[in-house]
Amino acid sequence: MASSAAAAAAPSKLEVLALLRSLLRTAGGFHDYNVREYTKRRALDGFRHNKDLADPSAVAAAFSDGKSQLEVAKRQAIVYSLYAPEVKNVMELKR
Amino acid sequence: MMASKLLASALRRASPATAPPLLRRRLLSTAAAVAEPYEDSSSGVVMKGVRIAGRPLYLDMQATSPVDPRVLDSMLPFYLHRYGNPHSRTHLYGWESDQAVESARSQVAALVGASPKEIVFTSGATESNNISVKGVMHFYRDKKRHVITTQTEHKCVLDSCRHLQQEGFDITYLPVSPDGIVDLERLRSAIRPDTGLVSVMAVNNEIGVIQPMEEIGRICKEFNVPFHTDAAQALGKIPIDVEKWNVSLMSLSGHKIYGPKGIGALYMRRRPRIRVEPQMNGGGQERGIRSGTVPTPLVVGMGAACELAMKEMEYDHRRISALQERLLNGIRGKIDGVVVNGSMERRYTGNLNLSFAYVEGESLLMGLKEVAVSSGSACTSASLEPSYVLRALGVDEDMAHTSIRYGIGRFTTEEEIDRAVELTVQQVEKLREMSPLYEMARAGVDIKSIQWAQH
Repeated sequence: MASSAAAAAAPSKLEVLALLRSLLRTAGGFHDYNVREYTKRRALDGFRHNKDLADPSAVAAAFSDGKSQLEVAKRQAIVYSLYAPEVKNVMELKR
Repeated sequence: MMASKLLASALRRASPATAPPLLRRRLLSTAAAVAEPYEDSSSGVVMKGVRIAGRPLYLDMQATSPVDPRVLDSMLPFYLHRYGNPHSRTHLYGWESDQAVESARSQVAALVGASPKEIVFTSGATESNNISVKGVMHFYRDKKRHVITTQTEHKCVLDSCRHLQQEGFDITYLPVSPDGIVDLERLRSAIRPDTGLVSVMAVNNEIGVIQPMEEIGRICKEFNVPFHTDAAQALGKIPIDVEKWNVSLMSLSGHKIYGPKGIGALYMRRRPRIRVEPQMNGGGQERGIRSGTVPTPLVVGMGAACELAMKEMEYDHRRISALQERLLNGIRGKIDGVVVNGSMERRYTGNLNLSFAYVEGESLLMGLKEVAVSSGSACTSASLEPSYVLRALGVDEDMAHTSIRYGIGRFTTEEEIDRAVELTVQQVEKLREMSPLYEMARAGVDIKSIQWAQH
């Protein structure tokens, strides 16, 4: 049971990279400067931190965690865009 | 003066020009709350007479922190269709809310190493502090008449103590050493047979110093005195263990850890049991300690924020420490006469309280309009008085007037730190150029020896 679940869930390298790409793309959609930068940074650091994971069940757990994070990010990017302030953060202005 | 005001109001009443905007505003009922549009995308923000090109970069995390999108995500369902009262026992709406509140209670408890049964939700750390200080002393008023606290506590603890003083209780306000740490021997000798409570905050809100909690807890255990701590600034930032700290009561806050405002919690030890007199009476919610309907969305938000804090503490800490170093080195590398207020070793790294010699603090803050920082605590930032916390450290009046608190958090970027350094340095140099004090100091005059004329 446990082995079949792990085998079924263990993602391929391609799937992992696709998840990271989706996360980064969703992060880029955040209107808020700080949240956008954080989401990108946290996604990259999270994947870097887990890149040497060998245990298939641990890989599967990290993958499913990343997928649920992606769902949260997608929803929140929409919410943030609905209430985006008219004025940008000073960090986004060209000087 | 008076006449001109009357004239102006008469003109306004008579002028037909004011009628159309009034009508236009009436169209939308919520528009009444918006006094005047202050955002104008073409030219930036105008508020309180100050024009800023964009929203300032936020470095005031001790005042409050932005809500994490993951926290908001957990809260939204409870603002939409899960609106039940968690105390409703007769239908699904109540049950699902109750379940959510209880799971949030477990999340908060897990972060501080407590049992969920020991967590009471309140409106914030201020309420928790009030319940702790006044509630305990009122409950044990027949035998216990003395409270020990420190001079650098948050205003709400000091004010609760002052309130007790008016009722005839004795309060000892312990002084702190120049680095902000309380002297354990003084604490020990201040304990009397009728001491009912020792209240020392874990992380100071203004200077970020971390008090020796375990040692204080040990002393309190030795004398069998209840120990209360205000851990609003410590929660989620430094590891907290109620057993190691031996606290009987602990105040927690939601909005300092990327959660919503208006929610906090109080840890109350069960073994040995600590009892308080409630401040709020009513329906008996939260075991009668804090009556009033528990705000499910806020509680869920605080629970989510605590769970996140547990997961992210190590990552955040590493990052925030690096940013603090970058900020301090950046400023110190370019200007002299910069003093860190409070201990550098025993300090939460997200706080950097700096004093800049020879500049005037208010002018510096006014010049830093693109950086959202404060001179000390938000509660007292409206007054021109120097902070009582800095005075308790023995910081000279002139240096206490020039303090700025930089608060670094989860969402702060390297670029923001670099910009803050650049703007601070620019502003300090500009003000020093104008300052006769700086000129004299550079010429070798001891500023302390100046005789100021009285007026």
